[in-house]
Amino acid sequence: MDFLRRFAQDRVGLAFSFVLLALAVVALTAQWIAPYDPFAISLRQGMRPPSWTNWLGTDQFGRDVFSRVLLATQVTSKIAISSILFAVLIGVPVGMFVGYRGGMAEAIVMRMTDVLLIFPIILLAIVIVVIAGPSERGVVIALGLSQMPQFIRITRGVTLSIKEELYVEAAIAAGASTPSILLRHIWPNISAPIVVQATLTLPVFVLNTAALSYLGLGVQPPNPEWGQMLNEAKEVLASAPYLIIGPSVALFLSVLAANLVGDALQETLNPKLKGRRLKRPPVFGPARLPGARETGN
Amino acid sequence: MLGMIVGRLGFMVLAGLLLISFLFALFHIIPGDPAVLLAGDNAPKVVVDAIRKAYGFDRPLHVQYFTYMGNVLTGDFGVSNYNRQPVLGIVITRVLNTAQLASLAMLFAVFVSLAFGSLSAMFWGNPLDKVVTVASLVGICLPVFVTGIAMIYFFGVYLEWLPIAGMATWSNYILPVVTLGAYQAAIFTRMVRSCMIDALGKDFIVTARAKGVPEIQIVFKHAMRNALLPIVTLFGLGFGHTLGGSVVIESIFNWPGLGRLMVESVQTRDLPIIQASIFFFAIIFITLNMIVDVLYTWIDPRISYD
Repeated sequence: MDFLRRFAQDRVGLAFSFVLLALAVVALTAQWIAPYDPFAISLRQGMRPPSWTNWLGTDQFGRDVFSRVLLATQVTSKIAISSILFAVLIGVPVGMFVGYRGGMAEAIVMRMTDVLLIFPIILLAIVIVVIAGPSERGVVIALGLSQMPQFIRITRGVTLSIKEELYVEAAIAAGASTPSILLRHIWPNISAPIVVQATLTLPVFVLNTAALSYLGLGVQPPNPEWGQMLNEAKEVLASAPYLIIGPSVALFLSVLAANLVGDALQETLNPKLKGRRLKRPPVFGPARLPGARETGN
Repeated sequence: MLGMIVGRLGFMVLAGLLLISFLFALFHIIPGDPAVLLAGDNAPKVVVDAIRKAYGFDRPLHVQYFTYMGNVLTGDFGVSNYNRQPVLGIVITRVLNTAQLASLAMLFAVFVSLAFGSLSAMFWGNPLDKVVTVASLVGICLPVFVTGIAMIYFFGVYLEWLPIAGMATWSNYILPVVTLGAYQAAIFTRMVRSCMIDALGKDFIVTARAKGVPEIQIVFKHAMRNALLPIVTLFGLGFGHTLGGSVVIESIFNWPGLGRLMVESVQTRDLPIIQASIFFFAIIFITLNMIVDVLYTWIDPRISYD
C-alpha cells in the first residue's frame, strides 16, 4: 500500500501506467475489437486515406491499417513479454547462483557478460537471427539473449551485497541449504530491481522488435508489426504518406509509456538510485543555492 | 598505464580468437549442409562437391578450424555466394562508408548534446530546461526508422530539397547523418544534463561563483571539465550504439554500408559475407571499447583496471 501511495504521487508515471494498461487491454483483445479482418486483402480498396470507415486508411493491399495496428500491439507485446521472461528466467537464477557461490564460475560468467555488453542489441540480435532464422521465435531468442547479461549483472550485484547480511549468515549457521537461502533470503531483495529493470527493458525490446521487423528479420508478413508496417508503408510513401501515421504513433506511445512508467517505478522502488528523469526541480534559478541541487551519488 | 594497455591488448586477442571460433561455428550451427549453403540452393551436385572439397568440409573438424583461422588471419574470407567476388574487397569499402556515416552522426550528436545538455543544466528547472528535457524524451521514444521516413517524406518528397538515397554528393549525407545524429543526441543530452547537474552542485562551483567567474565560464569550463569523465564513457559507448543504429539508417537511406550489407546477406543467406561483416563489426566494437578504457584511465589516473 505504501508503495502504491508513493507511486500515485508521481502523476506522470501514474497517467502513463494507465496508457500502458490500455495498451495491454488492446493487446489482449485485439482480434475481437479490430473493426475489420486485419488480413483481408482487397486490392480495389488499396491506399485509401483515413476516413470514417477506415480510421487510419488502408494499405497497398487494401487491408485496414487501424485493425492491423491493433493486432500488431498483440504481436509486439507477445514478443516483448516472452523475451523479458526468457532473459529473466535464465539471467536471474544464473546471477543469483554465481553471485552467491563466487569462484571460477563467477569469473567466467562475468567475463562473458562483459564481452556481450560491448555489442549493441541490434547487432547481437542480427547475429542470432542468422542462426535461429527470421521469425518471431528468432526475435524472442535474440532479444532475450542480448539483454540476459544485464539481468545477470544486476542480480549478481544485489546477491553479492545481500549475502554479507547478518541474517544470511544466521541462516547458514542454522544449517539452511543453498537453494532455501537463495529463495527465502536473497530473492526478496532482488525482486524490486528486477521489476524495474524489466520495465526499463520493455521499451528497448519494443523498439528492437520493430527495428528487426523493419529490416525484414523479425515478424514476417502477413503478420502485422509496427516496424514491418512502416517498411511496407515506405514503399508507397510518395502516394500514401498517411499510412505511416498509425504504426508510428502506436510505437511512440508504447515506448514513451513504458519508459515513463519504468522511470517512475525506479524512483518509487529504488529511492536511493537517482532516476534518469530528474523530477521536481526547485523553483529558484540556476545561479543560486547550488547546495540545494539534487546531487546524486 | 602501459601494463593496462598490454592487458587490454591481451583481452583483445582473446576476444578475437573467440570471435573467429564463433564464425567458424556458424558454418555448422546454421541449419543445412554448409557446402550447399555456399553453393546456393539450386547448385548442381558437382559444384556442391567441389565446394565441399575446396573448403575441406569433408575433413576432420579441427583441420577445418585451423584452416579457417589461417584464412581469416590472412584476410581471406572466401568469395560471396551472390556475385563470386572476394569478400574482403566488398566489405572494406562498406566499412569505410559506415565509418563516415557513423562518425559524422556522432560528431553531430556530441556537439548538440553538449550544448543542449549544459544549457539545460545551467537553466535547471526553467522553461528552457523543460523544453530540452521533453524534446530529448520524445527523441528517445522515436526510433530512427520513424523519424527517417518522416524526414524522407518532408524533405525528399514534399519539399524536394534533399536526395533520399545513396551517397553520391554531400547533400546525400544530410538526411542520414541528421536522423541518426538526432536520435543519439536525444540519448546523450539526458545524460550530459544529469552529469552537468551533478558537477554544478559541487563545492568548487560555489567558490568559482563567489570569486565572480562569469556563469558561462563556470558551466563550460569548471563544471564541464569535471563532468568529462562520465561523459567520455557515455560517448564511447554511444559510438557503439551509433554504429548499431547505422544498420537501420543504412537500410532506410540505401546507404552502401556494412550494416545494410549484413542485413542483405542475412536475407540472401550469403554466409561468407555474414561472417566477414560480423567479424569487422566485432573488431570495431572491441577496439572502441579498449580506446574508451584507455581514455578513462588517462583522464582520471586514480582509476586502475588491475
